[in-house]
Amino acid sequence: MAFYRGEQGSVKFDDAGTTTATIASTRSWSMTIEKDVLETTSLGATYKSNIGGLIAGSGTVELIYSASSADETNTFIKAANTATDQGGAAFELFLDTAGTKKIIFNGLITSADYSATVGELEVITCNFVTTGTITTSI
Amino acid sequence: MAALDLNAIRAVVESRLATELATAPPIPVVFHNMAYTPTPGSTWVQCAVSFGNNNYLTMGSTAGASNSVIGVVVLNIFSAKGVGSGANLVIGKRVRDLYNRIVVSGVRFDPPTGPEVVATPSPEGYFQTQVRMTFETFEDL
Repeated sequence: MAFYRGEQGSVKFDDAGTTTATIASTRSWSMTIEKDVLETTSLGATYKSNIGGLIAGSGTVELIYSASSADETNTFIKAANTATDQGGAAFELFLDTAGTKKIIFNGLITSADYSATVGELEVITCNFVTTGTITTSI
Repeated sequence: MAALDLNAIRAVVESRLATELATAPPIPVVFHNMAYTPTPGSTWVQCAVSFGNNNYLTMGSTAGASNSVIGVVVLNIFSAKGVGSGANLVIGKRVRDLYNRIVVSGVRFDPPTGPEVVATPSPEGYFQTQVRMTFETFEDL
């Protein structure tokens, strides 16, 4: 059975929503896809019943600050501090190095935590939410 | 972007020490796996560079990824026995200042520990202190 390790993952991003590029020095990513639950229990029923509602995703990308500016990394870490964000940035979260296992969506970065601690690498944590369709090619 | 050259890192550590201890007053320095027969009662320094933990830093495989490589430098300072610790600590300061929070050719040295007095000098017949510092360097594949 094939298993995967975290170092096989990666993140690609493009604020213009077209051609994504790898975010340098990514240390981790995580994503949660949530579906609203609508209760459809009939009056007098013994057990509850539910149906699925709207779907949305949110997550986090953690990267080590490297002052990279030749790719989308610099745009990525500053995206939370941009005005008039239409949520059209393209995200690709990869689970494998071959690039075939991935989650694709458009979205926007909602927050960025910048931190510097003596004796440790400087880490930036960016949180995002999705806009529109989420494709799970996994 | 390439795998680390361990000898290049060793050279960063050792050349820095050799240059410093060649200046007045010069002090003999011995590196790992080198034969040396000290003159009894003389002053000399032994330097050992070792590599330790390697850790994942970033995502990626054998290209476009980074690792952290940790190492340690151990410096044993030998000086004459029975004449106090002052002369030994002067050397301790010289070698400590060489590496304290310094970044050289991508090698980042942490604050040194010591000079700590070694209760049982090896070889015997000397007053021995030890300065140790860890270092970290990043391997970009």
